[in-house]
Amino acid sequence: MRWKLFADLAERAGDDEINVSVDDSEPTAGDALDALLAEYPQLADRVFTADGDLESHLNLLRNGENVSDTGLATPVSDDDELALFPPVSGG
Amino acid sequence: MSLSLDATQLDRYSRHLITDEIGPEGQATLLDSSVLVVGAGGLGAPVIQYLAAAGVGTLGVVDDDVVERSNLQRQVIHADSDVGRPKVDSAAAFVADLNPDVTVETHDRRLSPDNAAELIADYDLVVDGSDNFPTRYLLNDACRLAEVPLVNGAVYKFEGQVTTLVPDGPCYRCLFPEAPDPGTVPDCATTGVLGVLPGTIGCLQATEAVKLLVGVGDPLVGTLLSYDAMELATERVPYQQSPDCPVCGEGGIDSIAAVDYSDGCGIDDPQPNA
Repeated sequence: MRWKLFADLAERAGDDEINVSVDDSEPTAGDALDALLAEYPQLADRVFTADGDLESHLNLLRNGENVSDTGLATPVSDDDELALFPPVSGG
Repeated sequence: MSLSLDATQLDRYSRHLITDEIGPEGQATLLDSSVLVVGAGGLGAPVIQYLAAAGVGTLGVVDDDVVERSNLQRQVIHADSDVGRPKVDSAAAFVADLNPDVTVETHDRRLSPDNAAELIADYDLVVDGSDNFPTRYLLNDACRLAEVPLVNGAVYKFEGQVTTLVPDGPCYRCLFPEAPDPGTVPDCATTGVLGVLPGTIGCLQATEAVKLLVGVGDPLVGTLLSYDAMELATERVPYQQSPDCPVCGEGGIDSIAAVDYSDGCGIDDPQPNA
């Protein structure tokens, strides 16, 4: 599956489109995020709270649909595009 | 509402008047409308410019900054000779020069929890051209409580976001419940910003404002438009009203008095005594 990163997340990673693979018969968005963080560990403290939850201001998208309700438990498949979407504030 | 446009107005607004969608009635509505623009910076500049040109009769401008030379790369209503002048005065002079039909109400102060409700109350619609999360969350909350539509827009370096928040639609907190912790996301002064980017995003905000005022088209309600200047690409991110939203959900706040806008702007327990 492919991750798409926006704004400061893409800056921090140094890339805005990243392919990852998950070796699991029923992969979740959490597995895909783990695979992303294995390659880009500098994102970890940006996407997780101190308690290990996904930051509430980050929207998780799967194929353009907002799946923040099911969050990291959302089932995903190999050809999915996932995205992490933060708010920006400049004016 | 008066439909009697004078000869000068018939000429000035002729390209609006000949459209079926706006026409004389829509133009008269614009002339009778009032919009509060929060921030006369990168986003506010094109918003003020186009809403004034469109003949929005009353434009309120809130900003407590003065024009700096480093603003001029993107804040197109301010000129080199305005450096050091309050932005609200520079904005008012720009509008006076552009369109005598428009009255500018200058508010040379910072939007705060103490003055937000009072400032918003006099306007039909608010456009958020601010440059920080506390003001954005404050505006969302205050506009929702006052049932005033809010057109949100924001930029980061080469990317921008626009969404429209109407009283019966989802609010900004349905999408982003809390702001990132201060310092997490660097600001324009740190990262830089492509000068034309807030022009693009501000023009989209002005478009939404005109549509809402005239009552035409499909506003970006429940949709966040994301714009990437480097790829010249857009994405539409749909979002829904959250039943747990601390502002527009069941049992949401009925006052901003207890909300702390200094850090993440979070609302833990909307009504602790309810």
